[in-house]
Amino acid sequence: MYLYLYDHFLNNKKFNSTVAKIETRLTDLGIGGKIIRLSPLRDINESLADEIRNGIKTVVVVGDDKTLNQMVNVAAKYDITIGLIPVGPENTIAQILGIPQNEAACDILAARIVEKIDLGKINTTYFLSGIEIADNQVTIEIDCENKYKILPQRAAGRLAIYNLRPIMSTNLNGNYFDPKDGFLEVLIQPIATGFAKFLKKSFGQSIIPFKKLLIKSQKSVSVITDGKRVLKTPVKIEVVPKKLKLIVGKGRRF
Amino acid sequence: MLKKDDRADDIETIIGASVQVEGDFSAVGDVIIEGMVSGKIKTEKNLRIGERAKIFASVSAANALIAGEVQGNLKIKDHLELMSTAKIFGDIKSKVLTMATGASLHGRCQIGEEKPSKPEKTDNREKDNATDLDSENIK
Repeated sequence: MYLYLYDHFLNNKKFNSTVAKIETRLTDLGIGGKIIRLSPLRDINESLADEIRNGIKTVVVVGDDKTLNQMVNVAAKYDITIGLIPVGPENTIAQILGIPQNEAACDILAARIVEKIDLGKINTTYFLSGIEIADNQVTIEIDCENKYKILPQRAAGRLAIYNLRPIMSTNLNGNYFDPKDGFLEVLIQPIATGFAKFLKKSFGQSIIPFKKLLIKSQKSVSVITDGKRVLKTPVKIEVVPKKLKLIVGKGRRF
Repeated sequence: MLKKDDRADDIETIIGASVQVEGDFSAVGDVIIEGMVSGKIKTEKNLRIGERAKIFASVSAANALIAGEVQGNLKIKDHLELMSTAKIFGDIKSKVLTMATGASLHGRCQIGEEKPSKPEKTDNREKDNATDLDSENIK
């Protein structure tokens, strides 16, 4: 039995036809179910706990990256399968998962390819895609399980930690960012200058897989999760292997 | 053996030029180092140390290709390849060593797995044969 969670931005008139098409397609495929419309006042934890008690096994998020990330933190507590119907412009995670936008995503749900994937955990918050360090001017120290320290030598252009492959990095080939390998990856990219900037390529980047680490800095720095939640350093980050059951498409990038 | 033109598919850890690693660094997969590492480096697979890399650590890997500077002992299971720009200040132990012209090595070197053979004891039969031959020659 399916439960559909609609993000509150779908109440906007411009999404009416999209939502209608999605609902028609779901009915055609025979995978319709109960619908809960989220609102800023409605507690997603409470609504979901009730439904899971009533026997819901699959929860489908209808919304964007932010909706999915909100859901990930709740779903991590239960043994349920998560599906996604991406609607709206901010849907990079759906691309990585191989899920097309709007009603086309219903076919992915019907095909039901379920993958057990790792989640990242920053302090007590789970994240699916990754986190970024907002201020790149501060000296950062990354302590990996008290075994070794990673010290970016100069102000890094980008310091991020990923579970899923980042969409914008086209020059990152290789078998990194696999959410099924039991590792997260630190990505440190120096500021591209001169020819590298012209070619839009980053030379001298570092990619270091890890299971657990601590990010420290002399001055407190903001760390932004993919759910746009902001935390301050020091932060503890670890991988939680095979924590989430997710319905993915054939075109997934892992 | 990890070659320079190998596809990135086999690479799992890259320590770039803008990064310094301190401590006991161990990796499961292949490692490429272009920056600075001090402490220990251990991988069960291939290791490549770039031309600009500076390593102040003891190194242990299955195969290694070194183009930079290493100050520390190297213990390589199979194949150690020193490029022309490699500078090693430490002892090396490996099964196979390939060294390009211009590479420098300051330390002891133990290559191969063979143990020195013990002197063989001569057999009594051989001794008898030898005395027979001698007696025939006298005749």
